[in-house]
Amino acid sequence: MNRPIRLCHLSDIEDGDARGFDPHQQGHDSLFVIRQHRQVIGYRNACPHKGYEGTSMAWRKDRFLNKAHSRVICAAHGAQFDINSGECLLGPCPGQSLDRLPLLVNEQGDVYLLPADSEK
Amino acid sequence: MNITGLDSLVFGVDDVEACNQYLTDYGLIPNNVSAAGGTFTALDGTSVVIRHRDDPELPPALPTGASLRKTIHGVADQATLNAIAEELGKDRDVRRLADGSIEAEDDMGFTLGFQLSCRQPISIPAEKVNAPGDEPGRPVNVIGADESITIVPRTLSHVVYFVPDSKKAEQFYIERLGFRVADRFTNLGPFLRPQGTLDHHTLFLVDTPPEMQGVEHFTFHLGGPTELLLAGKRFQEKGYESFWGPGRHIYGSNWFWYFNSPMGVHVEFDADMDLHDDSWTAREIDASADASQIFNFTLVDKWMPGGDPH
Ligand code: FES
Ligand SMILES: [Fe+2]
Repeated sequence: MNRPIRLCHLSDIEDGDARGFDPHQQGHDSLFVIRQHRQVIGYRNACPHKGYEGTSMAWRKDRFLNKAHSRVICAAHGAQFDINSGECLLGPCPGQSLDRLPLLVNEQGDVYLLPADSEK
Repeated sequence: MNITGLDSLVFGVDDVEACNQYLTDYGLIPNNVSAAGGTFTALDGTSVVIRHRDDPELPPALPTGASLRKTIHGVADQATLNAIAEELGKDRDVRRLADGSIEAEDDMGFTLGFQLSCRQPISIPAEKVNAPGDEPGRPVNVIGADESITIVPRTLSHVVYFVPDSKKAEQFYIERLGFRVADRFTNLGPFLRPQGTLDHHTLFLVDTPPEMQGVEHFTFHLGGPTELLLAGKRFQEKGYESFWGPGRHIYGSNWFWYFNSPMGVHVEFDADMDLHDDSWTAREIDASADASQIFNFTLVDKWMPGGDPH
């Protein structure tokens, strides 16, 4: 995968909320994107909880955030993560972080997943 | 100690509305549902209780923020309740609540309740099978595959704790409350059965670093494997996220299907668990994929070979 993949338009994600994507057709959402106005933050849908690494975090399609939309949560054992840094703030994986994915929003508001090494 | 099994699990959650909907969709019967929470009961009256995590009536949360706030065990009679109060009163605070129940912490800090069991006797046939060589399970002309059946969980089965010291946690349940070890995963911990039930386990302890203390999952028993598969399929079709299964465990023999939940614990559908008494010798093995299930499937979309050949 070394070309950007279009995930959606900005307007497909409710402002402040998150949405899961399966860009490589794996049969489950392998990543999710949080939208804050024109900013997007992408993470691999994989909890860092030791012994459970890689666990899908939503409890229902696209439900990745807490009620106040102020934290990412893992619905497996309740870990809470900072939205901006991906760092675990409470729960079973303190000090560990979600895997950030590089995204791009173009002028037209299309959201792209960038190749992993384009972050640097 | 005649402890008969779990009566109720009480959660303090972030999103009350989501949990109310989740447990209703899981198949439990909703009672007194409001923005403050609700009680979700199985056919025999055992339940899961949802409250907001800031509800002042809830026992305090563990330092890890785990959402389970209280585990209520049922007991057979007042004598058992008195015996537990006396035993636990030797070295800890035992509170007597207005409803006649008692409350105390276990050695890991989980808040426990004990009450005269709310579990009502139920009489509903299990899922029945026909097999050559045995008497028919279903009478003639009674069909086995009915997609329209209503599925309500029958009874609260077990809860699984992550504990920072499974040896110490186990000792408390065995020495103070008379639980028996049904089987053991050497590297994780014991499956525990109180004396008032034959069910393989009502409690399973998993040893973890202290920062993980909390709950792995809880589950209710359904009427059989077909019910479990159909209930899980319906749940997944509602959009809920399957975590593991369907499959069948080895220890306990129960069919399983686990889902993520807005309570921040896994919730299992369970059916057909082994029964044991004190003549059973506990088995022991290191937990592994091979040791924990005889098989594990993934639900795929309905499909049919060939289509209509005409
Ligand atoms: S797998 Fe995410 S908290 Fe356990
Ligand atoms: Fe279980």
